[in-house]
Amino acid sequence: MSAALDLFTIVAVSAGVVFFLAGTVGLLRFPDALTRLHALTKADNLGLGLIVLGLLPRVDGVQAGLKLVAVWLLALLASAVASQLIARVARRAGQST
Amino acid sequence: MQRVYGAKRAALVRGAGYLALWIVLIGLDPLDLAVGVVASAAATWASLRLLAPGTHAVRLGALPGFALRFLRQSVVAGVDVAHRAFSPRMPLRPGFVTHPTGYPRGAGRNAFASLSSLLPGTVPVRDDAQGLLYHCLDVEQPVLAALAEDEAAVARVLPRTDRA
Amino acid sequence: MSAFLLAAAGCVLATVALGLVRILRGPGDAERMMAAQLLGSGGVATLLLLGAASGASGVEDVALTLALLAAFASVAFFKRAPGAAADDADRG
Repeated sequence: MSAALDLFTIVAVSAGVVFFLAGTVGLLRFPDALTRLHALTKADNLGLGLIVLGLLPRVDGVQAGLKLVAVWLLALLASAVASQLIARVARRAGQST
Repeated sequence: MQRVYGAKRAALVRGAGYLALWIVLIGLDPLDLAVGVVASAAATWASLRLLAPGTHAVRLGALPGFALRFLRQSVVAGVDVAHRAFSPRMPLRPGFVTHPTGYPRGAGRNAFASLSSLLPGTVPVRDDAQGLLYHCLDVEQPVLAALAEDEAAVARVLPRTDRA
Repeated sequence: MSAFLLAAAGCVLATVALGLVRILRGPGDAERMMAAQLLGSGGVATLLLLGAASGASGVEDVALTLALLAAFASVAFFKRAPGAAADDADRG
């Protein structure tokens, strides 16, 4: 059972790292601020979610697990608010040039 | 009388929510809990002042179904953007579309805009009289149909008709 | 397992550093806000992995604080960004 949980952690955390990498590759390759914003927010949110999912079997107790999920939800909230503000700033910059 | 009852109920529900969040973050130690009760009371007071009760009723029963859909969409969004980033051809057809939302301008529309910023291929850019302006990674995808579907899903949790 | 988690933390940190270099090379207002956002989500992931690897308690609290700070940083920057007032005005 423990080996299965370890495997779960390894798979989920590795997938999370891949999505963080995808976010950065998108940042490097995408052509303008607004498209890079897509890469940054969507890929990193999923990457963080997968890393949290992978760490869940390793926490001791329900409260510690809920806390990890709460960290992810707060990061999602932050990202949802920030991405709209960044989009507005980026569009303004795009119009002025 | 109905209003007073609504305000009292909203205060109780929100206070319970804040206290639950406190317990998740800090734990159940009695001394910490005492601080938590004070903190949740302060948070409830602030939230009632910033968002008046009764205007945006959330249907809690519809929440689990929505959460599942939201998780699935988050995965689709991440996979979609990762696929485009890693693909050698980098298939991007960026552009803007206006989604004629059924949410009147205000807190309800803001909540929908925030949720939709986490959905595949779209980021809300602007909120005006015509609706919400979105930037899309690929305008050849059926973006407007997807947004309408997402809005219907959000509306099951957060009804579009303001009761204010 | 600790070794794996440490390595994963290192990988996330490396992608964040790489992304930051790109962002800071084209320093418009939007890019600066994206840097804060990238540091926020990547920093939270790195901290959680380090915490799980070392078994140190309290790391989740640091991660939580970082997530909140990144959000406030974006909002504060938006308020200070040129033209923000004009944008707010035509919302009313």
